Amino acid sequence: MDAFLELSAELTGFSADELRSTGLVEQYRALADGAPENEIIQLWYTGVWRGVIPGERAYVEGLAWKAAGVAAPGTRAPGFGSWEQRPARSAR
Amino acid sequence: MKAVVVGAGFAGSLIAKVLGDNGFRVLVLEAGAEVNHDAVGRFRTALVKSPLKPYRTTAAAPSSNYLINTGPFAYSSPYLRMNGGTGTAWTGITPRMHPDDFHAADCGRGRDWPLSYADLEPAYRAAEWEIGIAADADEQRQHLPVADGYRYPMHALPRTYLDHAIASVVDGASIDGRELLVVGTPQARNGVPVNGYRLDGHQCTGYASCVPVCPENAKYTPLRTQKRWSANVELRTRCVVNRVHADEFGRVTKVSYQRYEDDTSGRHTRHEEEADVVVLAAHAVENAKLLLMSGLANSSDQVGRNLMDHPALLTWALMPQAIGPFRGPGSTTGIEAFRSGPERGARAPFRIEIGNWGWGWSAGSPDSDTAEFVAAGLRGKALREAVADRVGRQFTLQFEIEQEADPANRVTLDHARRDPLGNPRPSIHYGLSDYVKNGLLAAKRVSDRIFEMLGADDHTSYKPDEERYFEHDGEPLRYWGAGHGGGTHVMGASPRDSVVDQWQRCWDHPNLYAVGCGSMPSLGTSNPSLTMAALVLRTADHLVATCRTGPGAALAGPAGSWPPPR
Repeated sequence: MDAFLELSAELTGFSADELRSTGLVEQYRALADGAPENEIIQLWYTGVWRGVIPGERAYVEGLAWKAAGVAAPGTRAPGFGSWEQRPARSAR
Repeated sequence: MKAVVVGAGFAGSLIAKVLGDNGFRVLVLEAGAEVNHDAVGRFRTALVKSPLKPYRTTAAAPSSNYLINTGPFAYSSPYLRMNGGTGTAWTGITPRMHPDDFHAADCGRGRDWPLSYADLEPAYRAAEWEIGIAADADEQRQHLPVADGYRYPMHALPRTYLDHAIASVVDGASIDGRELLVVGTPQARNGVPVNGYRLDGHQCTGYASCVPVCPENAKYTPLRTQKRWSANVELRTRCVVNRVHADEFGRVTKVSYQRYEDDTSGRHTRHEEEADVVVLAAHAVENAKLLLMSGLANSSDQVGRNLMDHPALLTWALMPQAIGPFRGPGSTTGIEAFRSGPERGARAPFRIEIGNWGWGWSAGSPDSDTAEFVAAGLRGKALREAVADRVGRQFTLQFEIEQEADPANRVTLDHARRDPLGNPRPSIHYGLSDYVKNGLLAAKRVSDRIFEMLGADDHTSYKPDEERYFEHDGEPLRYWGAGHGGGTHVMGASPRDSVVDQWQRCWDHPNLYAVGCGSMPSLGTSNPSLTMAALVLRTADHLVATCRTGPGAALAGPAGSWPPPR
């Protein structure tokens, strides 16, 4: 496993597999390899890199939403009335 | 009969439809361009997901960001100049006004309507069927009169998990002698149709981004009504009307407009269009601007005055348990108990919206939570769990405070500062009265009590360096703009002190109508779009009845497809 991915996993609390499933490892490595920890975390969690969201996928795959167990608004359709159900447990 | 409608938003699209269905030739002139097709993508990549962000606007027809604030408080409610107007970005929440709101001056402050709730009730039903509203009549009857036997076109939407959690605690409890009850909020969002109603668009599947963009077209927008226009209706976009002309007797004869092709500059060509009747439906601020630029309809000196909004108070807290915010519509219920009553003599009434999108609007969650935890040194699993716990329990209460009509709150023209077409920019002088501030403070105290009942952990804070912060009776407060501009061509019983009559016809001009929220003498505590739609359909019926296309011409059936109260 490469150093950037390993560091990202350690900082975010998401496994390397979870990070890979976002499809963003390559893009984020190019942007943030060697950057300060807080910037790497912000990028993964919120999709924001130095005041810009570098593409729709960065927003859609934001880890803050995944941590909370919900889709980023405007990205997925969980189905009519799904909002009435007890939320799934998310943190692990 | 030739009608020119200025503006292809909520009001303009509705009135054009009814007039077109009844034999009028209708030309709709829209200042903005067509809706851009990349709105969802623009929403996703916008750093701050404010209501206008997904939409492309043009240099020639700026939206509310060209307003100039000159008053003691900032008027911060956006509107959108684009085909479909602000009704494209709206939240789609459609409560009716409270009957007391129609005599706001008698009950509290502000101005009375020349209409009663009972006068408007049939038009409410027509609007609810035209727009497509999901609600339960019996549930609404708990706080409002609804005609016997009436059914909304769709069943009430399912409530959120949060709504159930709050209702299980507060239903039946009291604050200041008011019994609390969580009540479903009527929604312009597709749910389960009743017999006799056909869904237009998809059923809501919970994208949770209704403001500003519904990716699946489950929310009503005026484009839906435009698809139902007859061939008698022609739409021209990128046409900015900058003058309405009247003859020496006050009859309106034609409009002048500026047409542009280049969205990035003020380059334009000039045109005129004659009309038998002109309907201004360009938004409260833009209608006032156009009347002022034309020097029309202002014998009462009320054009541009009485600008109102709902100064909204947001309070935010954590429920004791995870409730799963950011799933489904922004709000599916509210608490209606504070919408009127004797306190209205001393302070503004309010409606409470139960907000289902965490602290997104109030505090910028979840980005702000992440930043807070990272700054506190959390990393890895601890960070992930902290975000999950924090975001999973978030909710917001949104209080819509009535703002009374005050002639000092007004739109004027700033002739020194002009937009790229050379038209004066609207200048806004806006303030909050003690009546409104008392209402905001009372709302904050009710919020404190509700959070206490819920065992919720209150995180509300208003800081002096934040926008729209102020103090009242020594308490920090803050207000947000709700996007509910109204009052600027106010309706009344007399030409001496109002701009339009009960039909939204300008007292000074028999064939000039100014329609929309600008006509409303009070906004009460309800989101105003439904009331605007009801008023517009009522006006359309009146126009059809009074301007027949020829002697003895038969009408093409009742305007606005009024549903019978079954």
